[in-house]
Amino acid sequence: MIYHLSFIFLFMLGLYTILIKKNLIKMVIGLNIMEAASFFWVIAISNTGGDIPIYQLLDKDIIMNDPLPQALILTGIVISASTTAFLLTLIIELNKFTHCIDIDKLEGLNT
Amino acid sequence: MNATAERRINMKRIFIISILFFFAFLVLFYLNDLPEIVMGTIANRFVEKSVEETGSLNVVTAILYDYRAFDSLGESTVLFAAVSGIVLVLSRKMLPVSSHGLSILVKRNFGILTPFIALFSLYIITHGHLSPGGGFQGGVILGVISIIFSIVYGSAFDYERYSPQLKTTLETGGALLFIFIGIMGIVFEGVFLDNVNFLNDGTGTLISSGSILVINLGVGLKIGAGLAIIFYSMIQKTFGEGLE
Repeated sequence: MIYHLSFIFLFMLGLYTILIKKNLIKMVIGLNIMEAASFFWVIAISNTGGDIPIYQLLDKDIIMNDPLPQALILTGIVISASTTAFLLTLIIELNKFTHCIDIDKLEGLNT
Repeated sequence: MNATAERRINMKRIFIISILFFFAFLVLFYLNDLPEIVMGTIANRFVEKSVEETGSLNVVTAILYDYRAFDSLGESTVLFAAVSGIVLVLSRKMLPVSSHGLSILVKRNFGILTPFIALFSLYIITHGHLSPGGGFQGGVILGVISIIFSIVYGSAFDYERYSPQLKTTLETGGALLFIFIGIMGIVFEGVFLDNVNFLNDGTGTLISSGSILVINLGVGLKIGAGLAIIFYSMIQKTFGEGLE
């Protein structure tokens, strides 16, 4: 239950940041908060009280957590890092042309 | 800003917050009905069979680089596309104007520390099938070395010692190593990216688990060089504009 509550809180915090803030960098931060909330949540609810999914040589019969969500989230983290880097690059390029990263002050797209 | 516009913005903020609260309660309502999480049949099969089938003690690595290796290839392709896009957007025919780096104290300290950082990243990459870690995690640590060079010693040092050509070669080499292992799987086992059981020295040793180790190396080089390229493209622009 605490996992669900904190997931919803973090996710809505990120969504609020994206909807309210005018600064593009802050919007990227909000997107990252949303992604991190989803990752934490999937990892947290896949925890069934077992051990990490790595076998020890001496101790073969241990009870593990589900390894599949962890593998999927590892994929997601890399994708999230790539998209963040590309978004920041586009913001740098926008700042070079308009000297402004405030979406209210950007006028038109005919730079 | 006059009072009317301010009140309008406040109204908008309250409106959005109330809508978000509504959605939060809706999601919470549905999450309450979530059935209890149990390990499915696929996960049980992975946990039971992965050691004898792949030779990798780390089940997550076995899934990433053996059962679902094609997904990892796609994931690397996403990072490759992001790096290509960033270099394309930020590319400029401009000699990098160097920063001067930090003080002599920091330079000497990082001169001692940097080899150990490289060693640690190699350890994380090559022990991906035995302990937590793997190609992606170790590659990120490898990418840090380029950032240390640029910030501590100045970007000209980074340009000389770890040139963009070398980074590009490493990244392409990592991707090609991954695809080469996949084609070896076709040749020896009949399926793309199947585990080729060469260099197998017994489960639990460093040289074991066949192609997982080699794929880890390729992915680590690729991620490290890719992050270094991203950082280099970004600071080349910033330093050039600051000092022009």
